[in-house]
Amino acid sequence: MGKTLLEVKGLTTKYITRFHENVYAVDNVSFAVEEGKSLGIAGESGCGKSTLALSLMGYYFPPLHYMSGDILIDGRNISGMAPDDVRLHILGAEIAYIPQAAMNALNPTQKIIRFIEDVILAHDPKMGKKDIYDLARKRFEILNLPADVLQKHAVELSGGMKQRTVIAISTILSPKVLIADEPSSALDVSSQRVVIKMLRDLMEMGYIKCMIFITHELPLLYNVTDDIAVMYAGQFVEKGTAKEMVFDPLHPYSKGLMESIIVPESGTRDIKLSAIPGTPPNLKNPPSGCRFAERCRYVTPMCAASSVRFLDVAGERNYRCILPEEKLREVYGRA
Amino acid sequence: MKNIFKQAFHSPRFVIGFSIFACILLTMLIYPLLMPGNPLEMIGLGTFFRPGTYVSVYDALDADSRTIKLSDADDNRLAKAMSDADRISMMEWLAVAGVPAEDIDLRDTHGLISLWKKYYDPSVRPEGMTKAKRNYYERLNNRLVAVTRADTITMLSPDAETGEMEERGRVAKTDYVNVSDVTNVRRLPLGTDNFGRDMLKELVSACGTSLFIGLVAGGIATFIGLLLGLLAGYIGGLLDDFIMFFTNIFTVIPSFVILILISFSIDQSQRGALTTAVVIGLTSWVWTTRSVRAQVLSLRNRDHVNLSKLSGHSLSRIVLTDILPYIASYVVMAFILQISSGILAEAQLSLLGLGPKTTTTPTLGLMMNWAMLYSAHINGAWWAYYPVILTIALITFSLNLMNTGLDQVFNPQLRS
Amino acid sequence: MKGYRKYFAKKALWFVVTFAAAVVLNFLLPRLMPNDPVAAITAKSARGISETWAIRAMYERYAQEFGTDKPLLEQFFLFVKNAVRGDFGVSFSQYPRTVANIVSSAVLWTVGLQFPAIIVGWLLGNILGALAAYIRKGFDKVIMPASLFLSSVPAFGIAITLLTVFAVNLKIAPISGGYGYDLIPHFSWKFIKSIIDHYQLPFWSIVVMAIGGQAIGMRSMSIYELNADYVKYSRFLGIKDRKIVRYVFRNAMLPQITGLAMSIGTMVSGALVAEIIFAYPGLGTILMRGIMQGDYPLISTVTLLITAMVLLSVFLLDIVCGLIDPRVKAAQYD
Repeated sequence: MGKTLLEVKGLTTKYITRFHENVYAVDNVSFAVEEGKSLGIAGESGCGKSTLALSLMGYYFPPLHYMSGDILIDGRNISGMAPDDVRLHILGAEIAYIPQAAMNALNPTQKIIRFIEDVILAHDPKMGKKDIYDLARKRFEILNLPADVLQKHAVELSGGMKQRTVIAISTILSPKVLIADEPSSALDVSSQRVVIKMLRDLMEMGYIKCMIFITHELPLLYNVTDDIAVMYAGQFVEKGTAKEMVFDPLHPYSKGLMESIIVPESGTRDIKLSAIPGTPPNLKNPPSGCRFAERCRYVTPMCAASSVRFLDVAGERNYRCILPEEKLREVYGRA
Repeated sequence: MKNIFKQAFHSPRFVIGFSIFACILLTMLIYPLLMPGNPLEMIGLGTFFRPGTYVSVYDALDADSRTIKLSDADDNRLAKAMSDADRISMMEWLAVAGVPAEDIDLRDTHGLISLWKKYYDPSVRPEGMTKAKRNYYERLNNRLVAVTRADTITMLSPDAETGEMEERGRVAKTDYVNVSDVTNVRRLPLGTDNFGRDMLKELVSACGTSLFIGLVAGGIATFIGLLLGLLAGYIGGLLDDFIMFFTNIFTVIPSFVILILISFSIDQSQRGALTTAVVIGLTSWVWTTRSVRAQVLSLRNRDHVNLSKLSGHSLSRIVLTDILPYIASYVVMAFILQISSGILAEAQLSLLGLGPKTTTTPTLGLMMNWAMLYSAHINGAWWAYYPVILTIALITFSLNLMNTGLDQVFNPQLRS
Repeated sequence: MKGYRKYFAKKALWFVVTFAAAVVLNFLLPRLMPNDPVAAITAKSARGISETWAIRAMYERYAQEFGTDKPLLEQFFLFVKNAVRGDFGVSFSQYPRTVANIVSSAVLWTVGLQFPAIIVGWLLGNILGALAAYIRKGFDKVIMPASLFLSSVPAFGIAITLLTVFAVNLKIAPISGGYGYDLIPHFSWKFIKSIIDHYQLPFWSIVVMAIGGQAIGMRSMSIYELNADYVKYSRFLGIKDRKIVRYVFRNAMLPQITGLAMSIGTMVSGALVAEIIFAYPGLGTILMRGIMQGDYPLISTVTLLITAMVLLSVFLLDIVCGLIDPRVKAAQYD
């Protein structure tokens, strides 16, 4: 068992709307990621997975606000740190972020190399420009990016190239944790493959130590990450290894989510596609019991009243449902 | 269309702008009813009468007079008779006469006069003072004495038959009449202009004409812009290239220059408000064309338009039902902007002397032009031009507010 | 660099085309009108003359001077040929001075006044707009309506306000002209001081006039950029706010150059009116005098010069924009 690099304990963050209402987009989320491992987080849009990505960095600006919980990176708790310190020591250096819309993530009027200089100098003001250039060129070479990209402006790059450049820039300081928020959702299939290969290479070569990959496309997760967590209405509902989650999902929502997509290599093509009916609950005042109860096909009279705690215990099946494992499998008709 | 306005009233900016505009419109409609008459009638002989209430001196003599004794009446008369320069001269004399500087207060008329009475002596010839200056002090003293002398003014008028002067009455210093007892009183809240015309009446009338010019110019510009934009955007191809070629040319050539060239070529006697409005409208369609075309281009391939096309609907029907409703808010915004730029264009043209003819109806620009030609700004006749500038600014401001309000409602990315 | 040359060539060609169109319009518009300008001019100068033959002779002389007795196309080429040589005919109102002579000094006054004033107004407007966008609370609430109102005040209103406040009431600046009326233009400290004194009010009125519109444009541009994805991304890479703000304002400011190119025509026409208010010896004042005296050759020359100045500045701004804004490069070069 590797060293735990990222540990999140009871993290809760909220949005404050224009009308001063609280929306708890991340509600008491706990999990841990070990060195060399990757965790995929899946869920419908609006389930809080992108907010979780933002919250994990320990740096908040309106309308997002920190409520409670701890984020430990390599044993260091960053949730109590001053925002300026987080920015100086953590962001970009310890945690790297790949944004959802890489198309517009780069300043259009700045040369790529100038931006890299700004990123590095923000954390290491003493580093010379020559050294920065050498570092950037070497990293670009390893990642199979043409070196002349460094001298170009973002507007001159194609969409796929922009995304790959963003990944190279995010990881240029070899951070411990990489948070990738749907890095490939806007790309065509072949560019998607390139991006995923890049992330894997970065892991293998040790430029990043662990990774959180957020997406709504589950097949991607099966190919990329070791573990998968499913998020619903601001909470984790199930977490397990990629294999368990794809072939033996326990929570009814996970099951629904898995059934609504095709996993190409798993031979599940004959399973009928079924979307989950209904809409997620309003997070301004979520139901007190099971948040999925309203949409659950296997709902029991007890569900609406009782809430189940979610624990991230290694080696066990972790899911948020009052029904026991065997009962669920029985209901699903699995052996 | 109805929906646009319903939504627009959710924006506070639009509401404020609309209220200001409505107030201006109401004043324009109601004021002429209360004060009928030709706004170009020259009532005053002379230029630039100050704003205020004008009382007929002739009628005031006939009005019942009452005696009111006011202790400060003489001081007020003295204060009016002494200019700032006079006061400084008086202080100089007093200083020569040995009064300490801290005892003299230039603003205190009463104190200054009592010191003056005490120390002024025409027989004294201070050293180094010229004869001219001494004469000046003597005249000043006589003037001040005359003001305070307790006397009455006797009025004489020639007898109709004999031509002999007869006493008609006496006016004492303590005689007062009630303004409401005077038969003829004329209020000129904004004074008169260089031709002796009632500024307020003229301003209200000019405001109406200028709004008319703005509306006609804006209407023409919006119509041309909408038509060209629709043609260029929807039909596209060669027609689009052709229209855009001209639009681009007129984007960079200043419309002001074209306006000058056309206006100058029309003889002034033939330039009415309508002509000016049409000319302005014909030169300001460029921006509407551009924005309508851009909107139509983005609409052209939307599903509902394609569906209409597949259903075999006619061009006019597609444009009327599938395109126009979607760009209506932009067209309304462009129209609002063009009203204000039309009013401004008229004002600038008139300032150059190329506005509508001056004999039939005033416009805001013509009023500015007259004020400038007669140097109202150098003569201190602020009432001849500031109300005009303020009116233009208020109209433009209210329209701009309405426009940004609409923009907030219909372009949410700017809302934040 | 090859791409830029292509962009440059495209813009240069466009400049030539628009300029040609402007020349044609300048020539054609007065001649297309139902009135005969020559007849109007004859009527004006023949006031008091009753002999028909004298008026006819006058008409024919003017017709010849303008060449209106020749076919339109021939007239046009004559007009262009003369204009290229700097020959714009003889002024009616200041006979026998040539138009070129009258106008040449006015151009210098106008360029010297308007060019710096518009640039300064543009810069100040951008700074205020950026501040309004960045500080938002309160500041934005004050600056935003203020600049909206300021941009609603017509150019001549600003000029007259400055004139009455500073020249008429406070008497700290001269009322009119480009230099003291008692001075003869020559190179001396006194004369230069007089020029500077007379420069202040017209200069600042054009500056104030330019600020309003620019500030509003810059504000919405900056708000748009502040919400851009790269701001968030740069933050999450630990880059300092100071640096990010610099990105934002650079990006918001560059399109404002195009904005200036688009609004320069309006600004120049407002500035011309401001010149008239101050009786500044530039093109605006000359134009007004020409109009009042029906000096046809003078007017058409001044309008042509104004157009040429505006077109040239638009061209230069486009060139600058293409050089320094990579977004324009990316959109236009191919």
